[in-house]
Amino acid sequence: MSTGWVILGYAVSYGAIAAYVAWMAVRIRSTHRYRGGSK
Amino acid sequence: MAPRIPSEITKGRDTSTDPPVPTARVDEPLEGGPSLWRGTWVLGAATLLLLVISLYGAWRAPHEETQGEAARLLFVHVPSVITAYLALGVGVLGAFWYLIRRSRWADQVSAAAIEIGVLFTGLTLLTGMIWGRLVWSVWWDWNDARMLSTAVLFFLYLGYLVLRRSINDPRVRAMRCAVLGVIASVQVPIVHYSVLWFRTLHQGPTLIRPDVANATMDDAFIQPLGMSVIAFVALFVLLLTVRLHLARTEIFMSYLNHQAGPVGAAIVPPRLGNPA
Repeated sequence: MSTGWVILGYAVSYGAIAAYVAWMAVRIRSTHRYRGGSK
Repeated sequence: MAPRIPSEITKGRDTSTDPPVPTARVDEPLEGGPSLWRGTWVLGAATLLLLVISLYGAWRAPHEETQGEAARLLFVHVPSVITAYLALGVGVLGAFWYLIRRSRWADQVSAAAIEIGVLFTGLTLLTGMIWGRLVWSVWWDWNDARMLSTAVLFFLYLGYLVLRRSINDPRVRAMRCAVLGVIASVQVPIVHYSVLWFRTLHQGPTLIRPDVANATMDDAFIQPLGMSVIAFVALFVLLLTVRLHLARTEIFMSYLNHQAGPVGAAIVPPRLGNPA
């Protein structure tokens, strides 16, 4: 029972970090195109 | 190649003061913007390796006598809080530096570090709640000094991020955020010393203490814990590097957008009236 909660804790932690990295990657990629004043 | 403005539009008019015409096409990469430090890829690979090793160490750690499997959360909860301390510390130092030198770079570093600090403080609270549920049978105890002070820390710096997004002027934003960042830093030692000042649910400090040589933890746990801390610190450096690159790129984009002017700025009005 507790093993499941431990796995959940690790999944939430590493998942949140991965989501943050993905968010930054998407934002960086979106700045790689210049559209003359509009994104 | 710069697009050509038809000569019948510019005929008889001095075009030397016209705003620059955007030269990049939609599918071309940004020209002249800040580039990601090449070492970031090496740092990323090293961080990934360290995280894998720390996960393996957490898996291989022995079964804890009193807490059972819940003790394995130690290897993500403690590194999270240490990384949060480190990130917020870097953020506060950047805020101090901005207040002293008005350095835009210090403002960027401060904001990036505090954003990462908020992330790890949130993870500390989440993993702590799961641990508390398993060990103390409560998700949350408002009477526990460590929990309450960490929650206050989280919302203080979350407010910093909200403030940052609510101000458009970069100088006003930097100044007000630097002041808030410095004032809110008083909460960090309160979080750390809360377990010494108040005898409540949360245990006392295990590693960050003056007599660390007498730390009340077995070597079988200290080794994977140390590995996890090193991995999370490397992760913080990686996240800070990438976040700074993003911030600098967005500043460059806003500069370009400002330079280009409104849509249609390349089109100039025709001269009216009788030409001289």
